[in-house]
Amino acid sequence: MKVVTTKIDPAFISYTLGALRRYFPVSLEQAEMLMGYCEMRHFDKRTIILNEGEREEYLNMVINGLARKYVRRGKNEVTLQLATEGHIIHSEISFLKRTPSPVVVETIEPSTLISLTYQNMEMALEEMPGADRMGRLLLVAMYVKKDERHYNQLHQTTRERFLNYMKNHPHMLQRVPQKYLASYLNIKPETFSRLKHLVKLN
Amino acid sequence: MVRGFQEYLGQYAPLNEEDKVILSDIMEVRTFDRKVRITDVGKVEQYLNFVVKGLIRKYFLLGKEQVIKHIASEGNILASSVSFFSGQPSQYIVETIEPSTVISISHTNIEKLFESDNKWERMGRLMMTDFLVEKEYWLLDMIRYSPRERLLRFVKERPDLMHRVPQKYLASYLDIKPETFSRLKHLALARKVGIA
Repeated sequence: MKVVTTKIDPAFISYTLGALRRYFPVSLEQAEMLMGYCEMRHFDKRTIILNEGEREEYLNMVINGLARKYVRRGKNEVTLQLATEGHIIHSEISFLKRTPSPVVVETIEPSTLISLTYQNMEMALEEMPGADRMGRLLLVAMYVKKDERHYNQLHQTTRERFLNYMKNHPHMLQRVPQKYLASYLNIKPETFSRLKHLVKLN
Repeated sequence: MVRGFQEYLGQYAPLNEEDKVILSDIMEVRTFDRKVRITDVGKVEQYLNFVVKGLIRKYFLLGKEQVIKHIASEGNILASSVSFFSGQPSQYIVETIEPSTVISISHTNIEKLFESDNKWERMGRLMMTDFLVEKEYWLLDMIRYSPRERLLRFVKERPDLMHRVPQKYLASYLDIKPETFSRLKHLALARKVGIA
């Protein structure tokens, strides 16, 4: 089976609280309330969660595993995001504007996501005090992150991008196929292979 | 002048007379000559600006090269947005191209507004939704479309700007080499009047 949906395991609440606090201030009580609107989804590795042209119904946080977002360009795939534990991943445009997705979201490893449907988000926004603020601050955080990534792509040399990324994400070289990492960092595959020797693997 | 701004916000939530008074109390009208830096690198952006009249660009420096990331005309919102949202020093320069008039709301006042009533908070969320979507589209379009397609789409979406914005700024904004841009421009304009 490609996806199994379950209720939120309470054991994940404190983990989620910590992850959410990277985006906006939130109390334990609020996090518990928010989790009431969410579900857990479990995917196999290499499973398409959302395909191009489909409408995104979910806002996902990775609890366990690894997923990537990419856009097709001819026969190529350009990786836009690699999301590990604690990160949010989905097709923002499709989810927010209710339009067909221009991007694909796919797992790399078997993954567990905490997911909020668009419908439940609307409900939470009506029912939960402070939900509009949380939503706005989450959007701000996502906006800032996109801008930073774009700025760094242009201001760092290929070598700097590679070394900074490996320093900040030391496990990714083991977890992510090289071609996805190279695409994400906008580095040619042959250059990437060469740069890999700069990182000491234990 | 204020009506355009009210109409812009009205897309996100209906404004009653009281709301309009609240807004007029916190907004500041600022006018600038052409080629004036409104926000500089290293300064924290204090304002979110709505362009009433004129033309303004946002760019950063890559060595000596100016890389243009946004061009705003009448009815658009512009700021060094990451700095405005995060309070971090700006990495961008915001500078007028034409003499410009903007309606500005300061960071302090917008935060107070959000806290005063959830309807403003909601409006802020909906505006932020559009800012994020617009940014994501821009990033995707740079990947999905060829320089030629980017130019044709731009001509279609913002035809007025082709004549108002210096060519080198447009080329930079669309990430097209200046020499390619000149060549493509003839094509784009010919298409527009139905020659090609």
